[in-house]
Amino acid sequence: MALKDLQEWLYGCAHCGTCKDVLNIFSPACPAGEKYQLESYFPSGKMLIARGIVNGILNLDDDDIRERIYACTGCLSCEQQCGVYHHQHIFETVQALRSEAVTQGSLNPAYMVMVESLKKDDNVFGKPKAERGDWAKGLKIKDAGKEKTDIVYHAGCMLSFEPDLWEVPRSAIKLLKAAGVDIGIMGAEESCCGGRAYEIGYDGEFTKYAEHFLETFNSLGVSSVVTSCSDGYSTFKKLYPKINIEMKFETQHMVEYLDELIKNKKLKLTKKVPLQVTYHDPCHLGRHLGEKGVYDAPRNVLKSVPGIRMVEMERNRENAWCCGAGAGVSQSNEELALWTANERLKEAKATGATALVTACSWCEKNFKDAVKKYGEDIEIYDVAEIACKAL
Amino acid sequence: MIEAVKSRLIERLEKIVGNQFVSTNPADLYIYSYDLTPAEPHSPDIVVLPQSVEEVQAILKIANEEKIPVIPYIAGGNVGGLTIPLQGGITLDLKRMNRIIEVSETDMYALVEPGVTFGQMKAYLAKNHPTLKYTYAFSPQSTGIIANAIVQGLDNLSFRYGAASHWVTGLEVALATGELVRIGSCAASKTWQAIVPFPELDGLFLGWQGATGVITKMAVSLWPNPPYNEAVTFMAMDIEGAYEIFQSIIRTRIPDDLIGTSFALNKAGVAAYEHKKMCLYPAIHRLPDEPEFVITAELTGNTEKELNAKAEAIGEAVKARCKSYKYTGPETVPSTTAAFPLQALGVLSSGGGLNWVGTYGPMSRWLETVKRGCELQDKYDITRSCYTRIMNEGHFAGLRWMIPYDKGDPTLVERVKDLCAEQLDMVLETGFIPYKTPVWAVRRLEEKVSPDWLKLHRRVKAMLDPNSIMNPGRWGMPLK
Repeated sequence: MALKDLQEWLYGCAHCGTCKDVLNIFSPACPAGEKYQLESYFPSGKMLIARGIVNGILNLDDDDIRERIYACTGCLSCEQQCGVYHHQHIFETVQALRSEAVTQGSLNPAYMVMVESLKKDDNVFGKPKAERGDWAKGLKIKDAGKEKTDIVYHAGCMLSFEPDLWEVPRSAIKLLKAAGVDIGIMGAEESCCGGRAYEIGYDGEFTKYAEHFLETFNSLGVSSVVTSCSDGYSTFKKLYPKINIEMKFETQHMVEYLDELIKNKKLKLTKKVPLQVTYHDPCHLGRHLGEKGVYDAPRNVLKSVPGIRMVEMERNRENAWCCGAGAGVSQSNEELALWTANERLKEAKATGATALVTACSWCEKNFKDAVKKYGEDIEIYDVAEIACKAL
Repeated sequence: MIEAVKSRLIERLEKIVGNQFVSTNPADLYIYSYDLTPAEPHSPDIVVLPQSVEEVQAILKIANEEKIPVIPYIAGGNVGGLTIPLQGGITLDLKRMNRIIEVSETDMYALVEPGVTFGQMKAYLAKNHPTLKYTYAFSPQSTGIIANAIVQGLDNLSFRYGAASHWVTGLEVALATGELVRIGSCAASKTWQAIVPFPELDGLFLGWQGATGVITKMAVSLWPNPPYNEAVTFMAMDIEGAYEIFQSIIRTRIPDDLIGTSFALNKAGVAAYEHKKMCLYPAIHRLPDEPEFVITAELTGNTEKELNAKAEAIGEAVKARCKSYKYTGPETVPSTTAAFPLQALGVLSSGGGLNWVGTYGPMSRWLETVKRGCELQDKYDITRSCYTRIMNEGHFAGLRWMIPYDKGDPTLVERVKDLCAEQLDMVLETGFIPYKTPVWAVRRLEEKVSPDWLKLHRRVKAMLDPNSIMNPGRWGMPLK
């Protein structure tokens, strides 16, 4: 969205502060606001910054103002809590400010590396494109670019380039194979979905990747793309419809697909996994999808694993506290990202769980980094990793 | 503020609270420069967020030494422009001081810091002391408990117990000089249960809009939380009928809360609860078969039988007194006291602006005042939006006309300001006194009060705040 399109929302916010806390629980809802406490870091503050910028009172060339705009994990908890009619447009406003900053050339150095990497290697980590499929070595899986497959598994940037997380896509493939699914991957030819580029204001890069993704999979004639990346999944579901190209294939998150396989008795989880776990709802798999948020599927999968005992955190489902990694924060503001993650780990630990399970690679990575930094005694898993232990 | 002074000040403030909690960023200064009313914006020079009483004292000492204004701030949602720094200076954002220090089950009070919000208190009591409750304002959950009491807010137990300032049982205040005083039983003992039987010095701080000191701790009364609740509503076809219904219910002494609203405002609130946007512009005029006023009495009971008996008694009282008036009711509806009226904000703030002439006044002049206030709304072609709450078993009433408006529409902003100016003159004439008084209304009020009251008022301010650094330009001292 462009700044000029924001007019309708600029005067919607009365700065009432409802966005700051989870409705009826009254626990903090906004990571940036909670960490920094200044009004400018809360969603209502950002709405007022937008007003100031559109009215020419504030300028995007001020580094500190941009820092506030980028200190938003795009978790949408504010949109969940806000009762005012503009509530579904808060992050759009933040995104529009970021997009305007890019248009004006007021760039965030942390993102310039990421964008250059996207342009050169189709990923956000500055890693060589040729290494993208390395995670799948030894799995004997079809190359979907060359062979016809029913389902394509999309690993996403994080799972492709973060060896510490390779167990996630490898578990996913093992589960799919165990269920007899005709599966393939794009390997080195897989590209970023473009979602992160959109969230940090690089609308052009997003459009490029969205078009590429849609045209590639339309031409391959696959029936479905399954991903373990919640960011990617919400990009497919929520952002790709903004592109004027028909999507001729289904998209599913791995937890939805696993839930179906288990319900249809195509996948049997038999081995006992004696763990007390709590599930963290990724923002991109929940709130980002609105009424279609995926909340039950991951819980269903976990409950079908013998030996698993599930306990819920106070802030769960639509009201889940963010992991801190979203919307480019883990790349530009590690302090905020890890502090936010650690707040969640403390909440998870308070339930008595010994492991936190999630369904998003960005969440998992951020939680693992927070454990390293803050030392909270808790294990971190993806749903697929837990399910795979039960094979 | 002179740059050299500012730099020196920033350095000293950063030493007290740490540099991350001192800001001179234009975005922060802009955000703290205005509120949802049409009050003219004024920027602070510096925003500071202390976390302890000692930090507040240290900041005040420096500000007093440098003669820099200090404006206490919690959520800024007072609908009076009360935290707009009229002369710049330091905005003292107290939200980090958010501890509920003590809840006494037996003495039924809670001791809180200034950053504690209604939401936080509600959640805390529900979890830890479910048999007790505080009161809840018609405002968002982020509203500060202390801020609400300082501005003598009206809340959902006001029919029983009056304004929020009446429930204060102890205070700790950092004076402008940085000295720390305790008011009430806490001055002489470890308990915070009562202001009396000391001389009631709390009046030096309550109702002053932060112009005499920074309240760093406050003890407030808690109340038993009966398990059963419901509401009964009546709809009156005219304001006279509404008045009679109120009088009938007042004399029963039954409700916890007794409120009334213009019908259109009630309709907008219902729409907002259903996540719909209902625009009050152009003015919505009542249809002939629609009521003028909706009255709601909130009831609680220890048993269902008690609750039903209360509802029945109210119905009978109204029936007996209001035979000559057209009304409908009683209708029993679920109580809304368990929730904050958050969704109503969708209407009440659509456009980002909300203004009102909020007042307290005598029930004996209620009918005349409501009628004239609504007629003024008609004159300005603004939807009738009267909101009234009967206080302290009918000894006085809270009364206001809630006017949401679009802050981006300068013509409408002027219309709203003109209406409010005329409503203010009218209420002062009928004996209603503005509360959460915006500075423009303070100046009008000062013209009306007796010169000796004004002299005493200013003498008190000068004694407590000799360098006039505490939220200057409001109560006790006009702008120079």
